[in-house]
Amino acid sequence: MSEPAVYVYGVALAGCKGISTRGVDAARVRLLQHAGLTALLSDVSTDQLAAAREVRAHWRVLDEASESCTILPVRFGTVMESEDAVRERLLEPNGERLQGLLRELDGRVQLVLKGEYDEPQLLREVVRESNTISELRDRLREVPPEAGYYERIRLGELVAEHVGHRRAEDTRIALETLEPLSVAAREDEIRQADSAFNIAFLVDRDRLEAFNQGVRELAAELGDRIALRYVGPLPPYSFADVELDTEAAAWA
Amino acid sequence: MSVAASPRGYIDRPRPSGLADVIDVILDKGLVIDAYVRVSLIGIEILTIDARIVIASVDTYLRFAEAVNRLDIAHDDTTHGLPELMESLTESGSSGKTKGVLEGAKESLFGGGDDDDDDDKQNSQSRSRSRSRASSRSGSSSSRSSRSRSGGGSSSGSSRSRKKSS
Repeated sequence: MSEPAVYVYGVALAGCKGISTRGVDAARVRLLQHAGLTALLSDVSTDQLAAAREVRAHWRVLDEASESCTILPVRFGTVMESEDAVRERLLEPNGERLQGLLRELDGRVQLVLKGEYDEPQLLREVVRESNTISELRDRLREVPPEAGYYERIRLGELVAEHVGHRRAEDTRIALETLEPLSVAAREDEIRQADSAFNIAFLVDRDRLEAFNQGVRELAAELGDRIALRYVGPLPPYSFADVELDTEAAAWA
Repeated sequence: MSVAASPRGYIDRPRPSGLADVIDVILDKGLVIDAYVRVSLIGIEILTIDARIVIASVDTYLRFAEAVNRLDIAHDDTTHGLPELMESLTESGSSGKTKGVLEGAKESLFGGGDDDDDDDKQNSQSRSRSRSRASSRSGSSSSRSSRSRSGGGSSSGSSRSRKKSS
């Protein structure tokens, strides 16, 4: 793409300070105010961007913005054709909806909690708990590796199923402890075979300490089985998961 | 932006971290603006979809079967004493674990010198697979298209939302 276009980072109400971090394509980030909203933009002129650098730029710009205002992140990689397009096709037709969302998110941040099993420990427990699994495993140990292919798959499937029940139960425990301390919780998909859960929480800034305490309690409860990764505060990426139409009438 | 990992049970509060901790959130979440005005930059959607496939596939099952098979029988019936806990701690840091493709993607996206602290846990197979995907795709990442079947439908569909009225 040779013609200039506009990269969109996010949308805020007002009160965002200028951004000093360089944006995607190493461009300066500017604020566009329109229809009671502020959009964070920068110019892009190429379509061959290095993914690593640009993901990082997107992240840093939103991080800096969230220090001064509540911002709804736009999905990474979103480019519109011009500033006019941002005004007329993004901010104007979606003004009320975006303002409503932003008011709802005001003073709130996202925290992410991921749980990870220690795999050998988890599998030992699974084998201990299920006779079907331990018997099949023992039987397959007598069989040469080339044989028993389908039974091996069956064994793995049983293990995966068992692990799935574990996940559901541990997710329930995590939500039971932390959901009451948050405004909203959202389970995200598991991406790794040893993941226990991946939950995003929306938390009031002034209840952060209470939430931290909740995470500590959860860590004490699950800690001998699950390693926790506790990330945040972030702009509310997972709670901005909304699809917008760019035609005024489309969602009326 | 900060993170804390709990070294088996102890967690204090969030601490400073790197992109690796939030990459899935950043690639997959946020307002989606409709396809006609959106230009996708790179093959991110493909990479995130691949990551899900890893979780429920024959590969995963075979890997589980192998892992269960490798467990030392002698440990099966013992209760958890300190020596065993120590052992499983060291095992967890060693090689041979398959991580999701996203982990591999992370490496192909961010290279070696990143502040990514998960590199040592990656499995070489998923790494090379995602790398070849990434490169075959970036070659064709073309101009202003209305292609963008954005990650939107596929990924957000599988995350369950629980939202209270506020």
